[in-house]
Amino acid sequence: METSEKELSPQESLQLIQTMINKTKDSVADDSFYFLLWGWLVFFCCIAEFILKVYLQYPQHYFVWCLMPVGGVISGIYGSRQSKKKRVKSFVDEALDYLWIALAMAFIVLIFINVLGQTSWQSVLTYYILLYGIGTFVSGKLLRFRPLIIGGLINFVLAAVSVKFSYDYQLLIGSLAILISYIIPGHLLRIRHQQQKN
Amino acid sequence: MFKELDPILHSQLRLAVMSLLIAVKEAEFTYIREKTNATAGNLSVQVQKLKEAGYINVVKQFKDNYPLTTCKITPKGVEAFEAYVKALQQYLQAGES
Repeated sequence: METSEKELSPQESLQLIQTMINKTKDSVADDSFYFLLWGWLVFFCCIAEFILKVYLQYPQHYFVWCLMPVGGVISGIYGSRQSKKKRVKSFVDEALDYLWIALAMAFIVLIFINVLGQTSWQSVLTYYILLYGIGTFVSGKLLRFRPLIIGGLINFVLAAVSVKFSYDYQLLIGSLAILISYIIPGHLLRIRHQQQKN
Repeated sequence: MFKELDPILHSQLRLAVMSLLIAVKEAEFTYIREKTNATAGNLSVQVQKLKEAGYINVVKQFKDNYPLTTCKITPKGVEAFEAYVKALQQYLQAGES
């Protein structure tokens, strides 16, 4: 595209528009880092709390969740570094940002509900699984990425199933939910981005 | 009668820039340059023309002491782009019949 003065035919104009719009298809950021970070972190915490509570009968088993703010700090640092590198912002990126900001606020509100409510901790994981489902289903639809959509849908079922179980087993259902909706799709999303780059 | 094609858009590089910006929320100058394969000088001139026409917003700022130019299409730009595409379709339909 050396000159701007070349006379274009209508066909050439439409062709050019199509080519340029196609070139923006790789502009959506690789968000797999967040799915993998939070996926593995929550998975570890669910399993660790289950072992501490059920097998070791450690009274402060819930302390493992102190790792969550660490995830928040790592996400924040990674996010600010990525935004410095990023040269284009797509509409999908913007929609995903607002979706996950809203969900992060909901996760924090759930912590308060959990701490302030006397018995709410017994079913808190059900609501976390429900929120994971919303996040991954909508992300999957926006990114047109089927593993996230499927993971999200399975989480809706797991959320409903989890109310029938005690907190101990909800921890295992939670770890299964995060494996299906974050960890597996996260790894597949990373592979997709690497393939798009090459 | 055919609508006259908007002369601001009916130019290879300016149309390329507008087509990129219609598909994203905003893009840095270096990204546009890479995708259009244009020279920085030529692109600057064409971006300036689009800005003067009110079709794009250009924000210049500094990031880590480096100048950073970000471009974003305006509602007027979206309207002009849509009208241009409609006019193109008219031409093509006339060609087929």
